[in-house]
Amino acid sequence: MMRVTVVGAGGLGGPIAMSIAPTGIELAIVDHDVVDLSNLHRQVQFTNADLGQPKATRLAGVIVANGGRATAHIAKWSPEHADELGGDCDLIIDASDDPATKFAISDWAVANGRQYVIASALRYGGNVMAGAPGVACYRCLFEEPVDAPTCAEAGVLGPVVGAIGGVAAAIALGLASGDRTYAGALFVFDDLRRVPEPRIVRFAARPECPACSRAPISPFAPAPERVAKGT
Amino acid sequence: MASIRVPSALRSFTGGASDIEITASTVRDALAELEKKHPGIGAKLLHEGNVKPFIRIFVGPDDIGELGGLDAKVSDRDEISIVPAIAGGSGTRDA
Repeated sequence: MMRVTVVGAGGLGGPIAMSIAPTGIELAIVDHDVVDLSNLHRQVQFTNADLGQPKATRLAGVIVANGGRATAHIAKWSPEHADELGGDCDLIIDASDDPATKFAISDWAVANGRQYVIASALRYGGNVMAGAPGVACYRCLFEEPVDAPTCAEAGVLGPVVGAIGGVAAAIALGLASGDRTYAGALFVFDDLRRVPEPRIVRFAARPECPACSRAPISPFAPAPERVAKGT
Repeated sequence: MASIRVPSALRSFTGGASDIEITASTVRDALAELEKKHPGIGAKLLHEGNVKPFIRIFVGPDDIGELGGLDAKVSDRDEISIVPAIAGGSGTRDA
């Protein structure tokens, strides 16, 4: 049975997990956060009854209630615990809100020969990258985490994370079925209010990329832990 | 005339405009003209003459890394895309 790990059970992780689960794929949901009232407008998998509950547990619960297979891991993805959390997954999807986590997931996937998808959304747009062994990785694409606002700080619309999450899920299913058409491509959605079609760009591997060359990697510092709050 | 697609995060520099028409023969010239038209945006893209590590630039669908970097040629019909890394995902952090 195909196994997929989804890191992040929020606005992106919800639609990603809920649209993949009905295919019969077994999911592992990783998230350390709890459901906050301010999440509900865009994290539509949760209800008022979930407030204060771990997001990973609640999302896995929704999937299981709908007949899917999912396990919850209440944890923050980190290089130290990556092998434990990634386990024997065939494909891993980043739906986190932490730039350093996106690099860490890509690094782990490259080192372990896994396919992966990195999804990001902010304000009215987002990016989705498809990764696979043998093609340029996320660290080839961007050399450092961006010093920019997160969803919590800059905001993001519910329909935007729904749309970006749907694309990420579709790309993940393509990779899972052996379709490498978009491996190594980046889908760029500038402003979903105006232009729903993505620009699809491809990028070259960087010869000096430490992940691709299996050189020692210094993980980027994780974003500061923050207590769930209104946004 | 070529155009530069400005990401939404930088449109505060362009008065909200998403596409800026420019006359340039290379990406380097195009970014210089963009800075001339919209002062301040260049510092968000370049550091000491190099593209910042969390920015990627494309001519059409092609990464300028494969086209000669900032010296990549630009023709009148080309669209230059500025693609920054995006932090948000509304998941593991509190978003």
